[in-house]
Amino acid sequence: MSEQDHEPSRLNRRQFLKYGAGAGAAGLLYSSGLQARALATKSRIVILGGGAGGMAMANRLSRRLDGARISLVEPREVHHYQPGWTLVASGVWNPEKTMRPNSRFVPNGINWIRQLAAGIDAANRKVELEDGSQLDYDYLIVATGLQLNYQLIDGMSPDLVGSHGIGSVYASIEGATRTRDAIDAWIAQGSGKGIFTAAPTPVKCAGAPLKMTFTTLSRLEASGRREAFQVEYMAPGDALFTQPYINDFVKQRFDDQGVTRRHHYRLSAIDPQARKAEFTFVGPDSEFTSHHELREAEFSREGERKVVTGYDFIHVVPPMSAPDYLKSSDLIAQDGPFRGEWLDVDMHTLQHNRYPEVFGIGDVIGAPINKTAASVKAQAPVVEANLIAQLQGQTLPRRHNGYTSCPMITGIGKAMLVEFGYDNDFAFLPSFPFIDPRDESWVTWVMKDRMLQPAYYAVLEGRA
Amino acid sequence: MTMTGILTILMYALAPFLWLIVTSVVLLLTVQLLAHLRGYRILGYRCLGANLAAIAVGLTGLWWIPLFTHSRLAYVASVFDWIALIGALFATAILAWLVLHPLSFLLRGKSASSA
Ligand SMILES: Cc1cc2nc3c(=O)[nH]c(=O)nc-3n(C[C@H](O)[C@H](O)[C@H](O)COP(=O)(O)OP(=O)(O)OC[C@H]3O[C@@H](n4cnc5c(N)ncnc54)[C@H](O)[C@@H]3O)c2cc1C
Repeated sequence: MSEQDHEPSRLNRRQFLKYGAGAGAAGLLYSSGLQARALATKSRIVILGGGAGGMAMANRLSRRLDGARISLVEPREVHHYQPGWTLVASGVWNPEKTMRPNSRFVPNGINWIRQLAAGIDAANRKVELEDGSQLDYDYLIVATGLQLNYQLIDGMSPDLVGSHGIGSVYASIEGATRTRDAIDAWIAQGSGKGIFTAAPTPVKCAGAPLKMTFTTLSRLEASGRREAFQVEYMAPGDALFTQPYINDFVKQRFDDQGVTRRHHYRLSAIDPQARKAEFTFVGPDSEFTSHHELREAEFSREGERKVVTGYDFIHVVPPMSAPDYLKSSDLIAQDGPFRGEWLDVDMHTLQHNRYPEVFGIGDVIGAPINKTAASVKAQAPVVEANLIAQLQGQTLPRRHNGYTSCPMITGIGKAMLVEFGYDNDFAFLPSFPFIDPRDESWVTWVMKDRMLQPAYYAVLEGRA
Repeated sequence: MTMTGILTILMYALAPFLWLIVTSVVLLLTVQLLAHLRGYRILGYRCLGANLAAIAVGLTGLWWIPLFTHSRLAYVASVFDWIALIGALFATAILAWLVLHPLSFLLRGKSASSA
């Protein structure tokens, strides 16, 4: 097992320089809560995944718990700022801007296990690692994000991204970069048809496929030959976005910008050589939801109606689910809308519905919205408080309201700050009284372009 | 959000521009210091040229601030957008004035200060 033990919790040199330079006054450091009282415990806590959620929890718990043995299972050396991928694929950012070494964020005192988790034995509180070894836990936080199921589209594989006119911002940072190249090549061609797709499952950053359409439209308009390009958007359900106001707005804007919308179609197969895509009509009952029954119906091959169409560029959004190792564990939802597909947690307390020592955070959880880093920011303090209460045998004090946020890019240079939660038909939950979520704005774009990445890193450090 | 949270965000946001911030501050301090050593007093010296040049530098922000943010002036739309942009123009103009005003004193010499 390759692992690295850090020194016990102390301000390291990097943190010292940062806060020393930034604060400049002891008063600021004091008021920051840096010295928050820690709870003594000998518990073994395992965090699966060191992305946005796992890293935020590692930092928060290492500060709040004294003596706990915390292990972070994360194979990657490089941390990827995924919200930057849309900007990379749109040609606005360089890919390097989205990467930082994971070692910058892993707190001292944590046992960082650089491996994949391969299985979970929830009944015996054990995690199986890639090399066959086992890790025992008293408390488990599942934060391994979600799995991209490209294989559910016949003929499709993430390796194809960047060739044969195929793009997919989700594939990886390399995929996002190759998506940019594929869009460049399409625009350089001077005309042709572009198809933008959505998935029949919940996806991370549900706005990303729409953002890719809008930024590409900006680029087509800037080419001066917009009318030579055909743009189509294929949606598996009635809606394009969960939040009702934004859904109507996007539909109207697509109509105004000459985007042909087709509803109730999912991408079922692709023939890269022939540049042809097959779409399956999934019926007007289909919704942009996660219902397991619906997924079964959509992926079944009986009684389907198909449309095959050519393209010059296609943006592929794969179906998504919890990772396979989790799906084959007892932690997966066993009934309800997330059955067989997502982690079975109470969407308010984030505690597992059957194993109270297990919590979930981030993309992996079964919840109707929420697959964003912005949600992780809202969820992390909830998991922290509730896990600590559970550890002390107290009732869980905090509830997550489903907060999620999407800077909906409506063109290169402008965006809308869409923030909403579970309640009141996904009503807006604006953070800033001076920014109207219904307005397209330059400041919102500047926030997306310049401020959200710093805020994201503050979340990783457990500071925001 | 805690103060360390705000500091963390600021630290990450400013890090890529640290060289620019440091260069600007060094330039500003050097020019101010040199001019003060030669008798420059901020309110005791008048230079219409420096004032106009500072306003012009501020106004160039209408072009480069949107460009610097990968956007364009046409997308500055909401009331808050305009408040933010005008604030940035003001800040640029004041910064330019704090450099150009003493610089003009240094270039024109003490004789001009009584003009
Ligand atoms: C194109 C795109 C655009 C986005 N735009 C936005 C946006 O504008 N705003 C926003 O808030 N969010 C956005 N997001 C979503 C955001 O990035 C995710 O919601 C967030 O990263 C979720 O955090 P997580 O910890 O659940 O998963 P991740 O950050 O994906 O981390 C999961 C981690 O688990 C590790 N892992 C996986 N499997 C295993 C295993 N078996 N064992 C151990 N470790 C494992 C991985 O290496 C990874 O580090 C976007 C995402 C994408 C892809």
